[in-house]
Amino acid sequence: MTDATSNAPAVPKFIELNVRKHEHALHEGYKNWPEMGFEPPAMGDARWPADLILSVWTQAETGRPPTDGSEYRIGASGGGFDVLDFKWAAEGAALAPDAPVDLSLPLNRRSEGGRRIDIPVPWYGAGMSFGSISERIMVARATTAKKWGTFTSSGEGGYPMGLYPLRDHVITQIATGMFGVREETIQWAPMIEFKYAQGAKPGLGGHLLGDKATTAVAEMREAVPWVSLFSPFPFHSVYSVEDHKKHIDWVRQVNPEALISVKVSTPTDIDMVAVGSYFAGAHVLQIDGGYGGTGAAPEIAKKNIASPIELALPKVHKFLSSEGLRDEIVVMASGGVRTAYDVAKCIALGADGCVLGTTELVAIGCTRCSNCERGRGCPFGLTTTDPELSLLVDPDWASERISNLYSSFKWQLEDILRRLGLSSIRELRGRTDLLRYTKERPAA
Amino acid sequence: MNSPALTEALLRMEREGLPSLGDMPIRKEAGEGGCGVVGAAASVPISGDVFLQSLRQMANRGNGKGGGVAVSGLDPSFFGVTEEQIRGDYLLAIAYLDPTAREEVEREFIEPKFEVDHTFDVPAAEGEVSGVRPPDVRIYFVRLRDDVRKQIGSIEAPDAAGAAGEDELVWINSYALNAKFYASTGEKRAFVLSHAKDLLVLKLVGYGDDVIRHYQLEGLRANVWIGHHRYPTKGTVWHPGGAHPFIGMHEALVHNGDFANYASICSYLRQVGRQPQFLTDTEVAVLVFDLLNRIYGYPLEYVIEALAPTTERDFSLLPEDKRRVYDLIAKTHIHGSPDGPWFFLIAQSVPQDSSRRLIGITDTSMLRPQVFALQSGEAQIGVAASEKQAIDAMLDSLSAEDPRFWSRADRYWNARGGSHTDGGAFMFSVMPQATNGKGARLVCTDKFGKEIAVDPSKRPLPVAASTAAKGEEARRMAASEENILERLAGGWDYGDVRAYLDSLEAGPPAQAIETLSHLIDARYSTGSMKRSALLSLYDSSLTAVVDGIRRTPTAGFVWTGHGEELPEVAGPETVVAIDARNAPPEGPESLSRMIVDLVQQRGARRLLLANTRGQRFIGCGLSADGKGVTIDVFGSSGDYLGSGLDGVEMIVHGSGQDQLAQIMKAGKLVVHGDVGQTFGYAAKGGDIYILGSAAGRPLINAVGRPHVVINGTALDYLAESFMAGDPLDNGGFAVVNGVSFSENGDLSELAEPYPGGNLFSLASGGALYVRDPRGRLSEDQLNVGEFAPLSPPDWDLIKPYLEENERLFGISVDFLLTVDGSAREPADVYRKIRPSAHHALTPEEAWVHREDQVGK
Repeated sequence: MTDATSNAPAVPKFIELNVRKHEHALHEGYKNWPEMGFEPPAMGDARWPADLILSVWTQAETGRPPTDGSEYRIGASGGGFDVLDFKWAAEGAALAPDAPVDLSLPLNRRSEGGRRIDIPVPWYGAGMSFGSISERIMVARATTAKKWGTFTSSGEGGYPMGLYPLRDHVITQIATGMFGVREETIQWAPMIEFKYAQGAKPGLGGHLLGDKATTAVAEMREAVPWVSLFSPFPFHSVYSVEDHKKHIDWVRQVNPEALISVKVSTPTDIDMVAVGSYFAGAHVLQIDGGYGGTGAAPEIAKKNIASPIELALPKVHKFLSSEGLRDEIVVMASGGVRTAYDVAKCIALGADGCVLGTTELVAIGCTRCSNCERGRGCPFGLTTTDPELSLLVDPDWASERISNLYSSFKWQLEDILRRLGLSSIRELRGRTDLLRYTKERPAA
Repeated sequence: MNSPALTEALLRMEREGLPSLGDMPIRKEAGEGGCGVVGAAASVPISGDVFLQSLRQMANRGNGKGGGVAVSGLDPSFFGVTEEQIRGDYLLAIAYLDPTAREEVEREFIEPKFEVDHTFDVPAAEGEVSGVRPPDVRIYFVRLRDDVRKQIGSIEAPDAAGAAGEDELVWINSYALNAKFYASTGEKRAFVLSHAKDLLVLKLVGYGDDVIRHYQLEGLRANVWIGHHRYPTKGTVWHPGGAHPFIGMHEALVHNGDFANYASICSYLRQVGRQPQFLTDTEVAVLVFDLLNRIYGYPLEYVIEALAPTTERDFSLLPEDKRRVYDLIAKTHIHGSPDGPWFFLIAQSVPQDSSRRLIGITDTSMLRPQVFALQSGEAQIGVAASEKQAIDAMLDSLSAEDPRFWSRADRYWNARGGSHTDGGAFMFSVMPQATNGKGARLVCTDKFGKEIAVDPSKRPLPVAASTAAKGEEARRMAASEENILERLAGGWDYGDVRAYLDSLEAGPPAQAIETLSHLIDARYSTGSMKRSALLSLYDSSLTAVVDGIRRTPTAGFVWTGHGEELPEVAGPETVVAIDARNAPPEGPESLSRMIVDLVQQRGARRLLLANTRGQRFIGCGLSADGKGVTIDVFGSSGDYLGSGLDGVEMIVHGSGQDQLAQIMKAGKLVVHGDVGQTFGYAAKGGDIYILGSAAGRPLINAVGRPHVVINGTALDYLAESFMAGDPLDNGGFAVVNGVSFSENGDLSELAEPYPGGNLFSLASGGALYVRDPRGRLSEDQLNVGEFAPLSPPDWDLIKPYLEENERLFGISVDFLLTVDGSAREPADVYRKIRPSAHHALTPEEAWVHREDQVGK
């Protein structure tokens, strides 16, 4: 895929210009943008203020957080992660700046054994389908996952050829439409992710608008081009927990080695769902909060149905602990995890690790303009499968940027742990006592 | 229907008699949804041992955190009471979690209220079940004391109201007992398991079959049994009080599913002062049932309507008078109607006429699996369960215990939830026979009272081994190629068939298997014999043939079974005969993994599975290695059969269960019977032929190029979100023929080719071809799809599939094109349903089509 530019159609001039400017901005930050006579289509929102987007770009460029005083830890939403800060360890209790700290995370903690998979950093990439994003972006994300020994998820839109060489680092997602799911894609995946719901739109299925269902996308999904494609809600074969167990048993029959992840949103009885998933055989429970990204969720659903991840995590953590199951299942948080600080806060609130989606797209140029659902809505060639627009992103370049962001996250998490006096990320889990509520911007 | 005065009097008794539970939370104590349920009602008593086999078969539907049974039509000798006592006394069964509570309970809730005719301590095995000590259970056979009866006082119509008043006092007493010793103290020391006449509930933490073993009920004989495996998802501390069944008055209810509107139902019940004490969906369900049934005195039909309302198109198809009543019921009771996926089984004794019932009700949307079955011979049995294989397991063990039964039911069917056709509910009533007073008679009716019967002209399998009148002829025919169908249609009796099969078994296995397959699959006249009885004989014969291959090495075959070493397979033509008995339904030792190992490690290409009993995932995991593999499946196969098939040819010699052919990619699936829920979900391709019908939600989200022929019909939501391209350009389609075979092998048209709604709903690709010569399908069954005439290319497309269908099932294309005796043109018989352009589906921007120009 990486050489796809060679025989590709020419990019129209105006798009090329647009991209050149955007790329320039990505490198330099939007500070220089005004002189360029071009307005960005958007520059964030309260959860993702312009500062934060620019900081992510800096990290994607340099592999370190910005040093110019730009905010890279929190947004400006006035709630949730943005009003949480750490209670740093007292002088002397913090670890030395070069003290070794361990960020690795085992993804199978079930005492009955089975395959062990450890990832060296406490995160992996979120499911984004071929259709929602281009194959180039998928390849870029998977390449980064391979480089870092972690994973990315296929999303629900089939398994493009470009992923084949990277498949040891691709989680196969089985969502309600089961688009593109074949026994092979189940068999070669290290982990299978059952997507029951998405935090951005619980109770609604997947929805790919007609103008994103290009011939290539439709072919991958074996559906009709240019027609909106729905994944139903819920799985019509799963209306209860014993169905859910049967569903998991099915996948384990096809691939007995695979780890099982269950992705759910954050309903009020998320604690019950967590325990139910454990008993059905899940290794990982991914809980996706109400701020999860999605291009194609109705406005009324976004942020308005599922609880925020900040509320759901402690509930799940406490309940699993009281049931004596906390060390048997890995809880991954997603849905609005933007920064390394968000990752650390999720873990302090009770998660084992996080799943990153939007942040990775921001690293490669997303400005949160919210046109993701349109076929040619994304000005930067990210959330598009348009054969023209998707050429705007070079997978190697994109992979490099995501990788740099990972470096920065790693650096920051190590720093956070040392400043908290902890030598392992696993020691941070559930340490709500290390968090404090503050309306003030944290000290640099 | 009770008189308003009686209803008011009973409600007043409750208002005055029920203790307050204070501020109990309106929140379920456990998240649950899953479960396995099974119930049986028979004209003769059946033993706990038989029932146990069926429950055991569905252990994978529970998690060992709750199980229970309810039994009615009890054998008095088991308890050491008289016939009069078991029918006339209240059986007050109390679970003592804390044995020291007994004295207090008896002092406060038994001695002052009841005359105790007899007490029975239910025997129990030593030790714990699932890590919890089950409660001690004592059954008190009681009548209300005369001074207590006086409280009923001033109710009008003394006879009926007297009984109603007595029931109410017993009900209030149990409620108060539970409040004091279970619900409000938080100590959970004792609770009432049941208090009906002639009905007993037992439950514990464990599986349903653990109840029978722990309380040593293997030898208990009764007409009606229901059982349940629970799959709750909360808590490491589990409690028998949360297990099913839950009780109303003279009934007990088990339930598979859960409600989204638990809180709403609680509020509805609070209006009459009722509060749940065990905080589960099932309890509120039975509280509603009891309120409607006993306090309001609604006929069962109205109770069912209140629980599972008739909606949408089905409502509009009801007769005017029913619409009027149902409308009032909905307006009054909709808040007490459980919303969500559920399937109820209810065991009920009816003291007024000494009958007992098994009732099965599905929710309007049919979101839980359910199968009903009926076998009628010298004795009759009706069974309802979450899975067909559990029904077969019960009949199997029943036929071993009681020669009046055999191992296959005469009929199996699914209820259509909230429908105008059957109402989504069936009851099996065991009626005492007025004529001799001893035996009983089983009657099966649907919600509307329409009887479900079997062909009365057919004789059942004789209890005594009948002699073969034409044994010599049968033996000769077994060795020859002669067609025996003529003899089966007339001339032969069961004894002759047995003689024929005996000789067949003694001959070459290949010929025996071929003949048996044909006899099992084909539909033909069976003369005065029952098809189900003949099938049970063929089943035994096939088992014997496969066992013969085990005992005697046979050229062309290799035998294996559960726990055996993987055998060597000589070549691709060698048939691997697998005896599936005892193979686990899932997991590393499962039948499904055995098949994968045989194909991948031993190069097996032809497999024959005999005696399947609920094993799931058959054919899964072969992926592209399955190309060229043939799998013949006999017995009662389980869920997810053929999911993901990619080139395998699989023949199911009987009916399938749920989730068949999910994401099937390529190959061929032939089912000589019906298929269950969500068949072909997200299928991508392959050729599928179904002799019978599909239950709810077939072919949802199918894409690519599946080619499907369903000869019967489907319940609802057929081919919703179908996205299978253009059928005339390498896309997919499904043909629905709307025909069925009678028990005697006669083919006829169904009243409607498709009775449900949401046909081809929101489909964006592919097509349905429905045989509808009388134009019964109407626009209001569609949602975004549209009717289109059948064009010559359409007919050219489906004709080869109908020809293959003819070859497989004997349903001729000529028959399908014949209407009222005369041949018609295909376009006059088949209607095409295709996607229509709809703004919800079509692209909103013209420029998207630019892709076609890019790169040119």
